[in-house]
Amino acid sequence: MPQVRIIAKNFIDMVASLPAVKLDMLYANPFICEAILRSLPPLAKKYVLQMLYIDAPVPAKSMEEWVLPDGLSKHRVAIDRLIQLRVLTETVDRKKETSYEMNQKFQLNLQKQLIYGGVLPRESMPSNSVMLPSLEELEMYALEQWEVCTFPAASYQLQPSGKVNKLQFFNDEGFPTWPLESKVFHFIIEKEGSRLTEYGFQFLLMDTNAQLWYIVREYIANAEERGVDPASIISFLLELSFHEIGQAYNLNTLNEVQQSTIKDLADLGLVKLQQGRKESWFLPTKLATTLSVCLSDTSTRRQGYVVVETNFRLYAYTTSKLHCEIMRLFARVEYQLPNLIVGAINKESLYNAFENGITADQARFFFFFFFIILFLQQNAHPRVAEKTPTVPENVTDQIRLWESDLNRIEMSPAQLYDEFPSKVNSKDLFEAACDYAREYGALLWEDSKKMQLVVKSELHNEMREYLRRQK
Amino acid sequence: MAQFIINMNSSLPSNQKFIIRVLDKTHLFVQPHVAEMIRVAIAEFRESNTYGKPP
Repeated sequence: MPQVRIIAKNFIDMVASLPAVKLDMLYANPFICEAILRSLPPLAKKYVLQMLYIDAPVPAKSMEEWVLPDGLSKHRVAIDRLIQLRVLTETVDRKKETSYEMNQKFQLNLQKQLIYGGVLPRESMPSNSVMLPSLEELEMYALEQWEVCTFPAASYQLQPSGKVNKLQFFNDEGFPTWPLESKVFHFIIEKEGSRLTEYGFQFLLMDTNAQLWYIVREYIANAEERGVDPASIISFLLELSFHEIGQAYNLNTLNEVQQSTIKDLADLGLVKLQQGRKESWFLPTKLATTLSVCLSDTSTRRQGYVVVETNFRLYAYTTSKLHCEIMRLFARVEYQLPNLIVGAINKESLYNAFENGITADQARFFFFFFFIILFLQQNAHPRVAEKTPTVPENVTDQIRLWESDLNRIEMSPAQLYDEFPSKVNSKDLFEAACDYAREYGALLWEDSKKMQLVVKSELHNEMREYLRRQK
Repeated sequence: MAQFIINMNSSLPSNQKFIIRVLDKTHLFVQPHVAEMIRVAIAEFRESNTYGKPP
């Protein structure tokens, strides 16, 4: 399994990497404490709850007695995680024994949360004063907004004639409604060439949750550049995830920072803003509430919609423009009906994707088409999803064959070493040189009869030194 | 594919020959600046061997 270069990093990992002072400030918010608790591995959760009402530090030895011997590795993982999040602090006393103490603020707030049941700092507005959209409408809104944001990434493709395919609802600059513009998407699209980069291709083929994580993470990382404290955004997002979907909350309960953040979140589809006669309010959508819930694995997936047939035809039961563009990336779209997109995968369309998505780094070619196959498998229509294999083998095999056809030749800069002196011990010198190169993984070819070897250029200087020393 | 490159090499005038040494049946040692040219030649060879249905 190749390394997916965009790893949808855990929100909590980002929280854990905050400096100690900021983390302590975060723990003043009881919701954050609960969100952190939810994100812990099961053993760590148990430890936190056990130590919740213990005030004195607990010796490490007695904690180790809580697990069976074969659980010790999990124990270590749990303790390390807790220390990383500064939930537990380690102290060594005079007898050189370690003990762990729980973070006071964290402890206090979690206790409060348990006792009082987590009252949100704002109440939802009474239903007679606001017109609430239904839950389905809210979900549609969230999906639409999300697509509007990721769509520009998909619509930037080079047509064969070299012209950039821009759509009507963006003006000439490209991203009028997206406030984060180049900062977030610079890795997706090369600005000069207006081409989808390799990361962008992978990004589009990931599922929505992973994409959302990535954008949110970038947004928070950029916050500091814009002069906003990332910790306050994190705490707001975590708080938001505890709100109820579809309930309206008054905008005047938010402070300044939160008000400016909420506009960006509305663009992303995490909340919906509405205005009444006197007041304005926001409604969290499903995307917001799943932010803290799906911390390690992907939760509710959208229903798949793609059927691939053994004659290389592709049927996508979708109305979304984004899906159409994604199809166009690697397949030839033949018909577009009201609820169906019909296309075919063939060599030209795949090579087209290859040209659109890859820069000239040969090493990455190998797994590129893998993502296409993965995308097809993950988004399989429920009708075919039960069948194994979801995508017919002849299609996947052919895609792999086409891909390997592109990699007929492997090239690497190298140096040829020959004319080892025909002395008595030159054979040993030759063998030693081969071993040396092999250790660094730089040996490309050797012939012991002719006493020649080819070594990668990067090792050339060290190789010269080595041979000089041997003489 | 190795034979293809060797053939291409021998068809070039002698000041443009790029193979420094033929190492074995599947390895060649060539001058560095021809990498792109070899890639393009192989791509052309591949295209000429592919059937594309006329539109």
